Amino acid sequence: MSAEGDDVECSDDCTQALHRLEAFLDGELPNTDVEDLREHLTACYPCTERASFEEQLRAIVRRGCTEEAPPRLASRIEAALDQGVGPDLGMGPDLGMGPELRG
Amino acid sequence: MNDLGASAAPSPEADGQTTGADGTSAGARRELSDDERRERFVAEAMPLVDRMYSAALRYTRDPTDAEDLVQETMVKAYRSFHQYRPGTNLKAWLYRILHTTYISMYRKAQRRPQEALQEEIDDFSFYDEVARAGGSAEREVLESLTADEVKNALAELPETFRLAVYLADVEGFAYKEIAEIMDTPVGTVMSRLHRGRKALQKALATYARSRGLIVEDPEDEG
Repeated sequence: MSAEGDDVECSDDCTQALHRLEAFLDGELPNTDVEDLREHLTACYPCTERASFEEQLRAIVRRGCTEEAPPRLASRIEAALDQGVGPDLGMGPDLGMGPELRG
Repeated sequence: MNDLGASAAPSPEADGQTTGADGTSAGARRELSDDERRERFVAEAMPLVDRMYSAALRYTRDPTDAEDLVQETMVKAYRSFHQYRPGTNLKAWLYRILHTTYISMYRKAQRRPQEALQEEIDDFSFYDEVARAGGSAEREVLESLTADEVKNALAELPETFRLAVYLADVEGFAYKEIAEIMDTPVGTVMSRLHRGRKALQKALATYARSRGLIVEDPEDEG
């Protein structure tokens, strides 16, 4: 939706808010922008509706994709730890990864 | 193999082999006995097996493969557990191993070219589709989607998009963590997430439409 000044229901503020919404919901929006966005959402009903739709959608994805492992898996793994083997897939031990994942 | 207690033999990996770059930092690899290592691994890593199984299902899309993937991941993680630094993010570390393990176990075998998403996907908005059309209210549409529909919609996404969306929306990893897990720049993660979510929404909208939750405007092209 172009922000070229016309009387669309969407103002520049809305355009900017929607642009930031994804990062906001991801918890990745810088604090200064968070304040602005919160302020806008408090005042703008359509944007709030949209934001809560997006939020609810994520909740539904989360719920849909959470499942329990079959109970045998944990014991299978513990047995494999004792033997130091995985399923026989002919793989070398190299992880191709550095240990540099810092919290 | 009975490695309980008794001998204080250092584990083979932790053995000798100079300290490496980070030498002196506090607590940097005090050698754990096999018992301690095992105990800590079971206490800290094993509780994540359920989550990792869910993740592995998104990776492999097959329950048997998912179990194998988690098992192989955990065995590898256990073997290199001495490299893991307490206090850092264990979950992200395990998922990084899951990811590399998946790639070496499966992607190589399949040699599937990486699919892309259409350009137009950027313009798609599930919310707009629902709001514009007749039919159920926005919230009802979302609530009516079943877990299977969500899983299928996600499974249909090209792999890199599917994994980014899963790691963010279901596992709650930060962009930076996803970048490390998938070994890709943060900017790439952000664009995969953005486009992947759009594509997921589009797939969900298709399910919603086919069930009459979104009633088509006759002028819209399918």
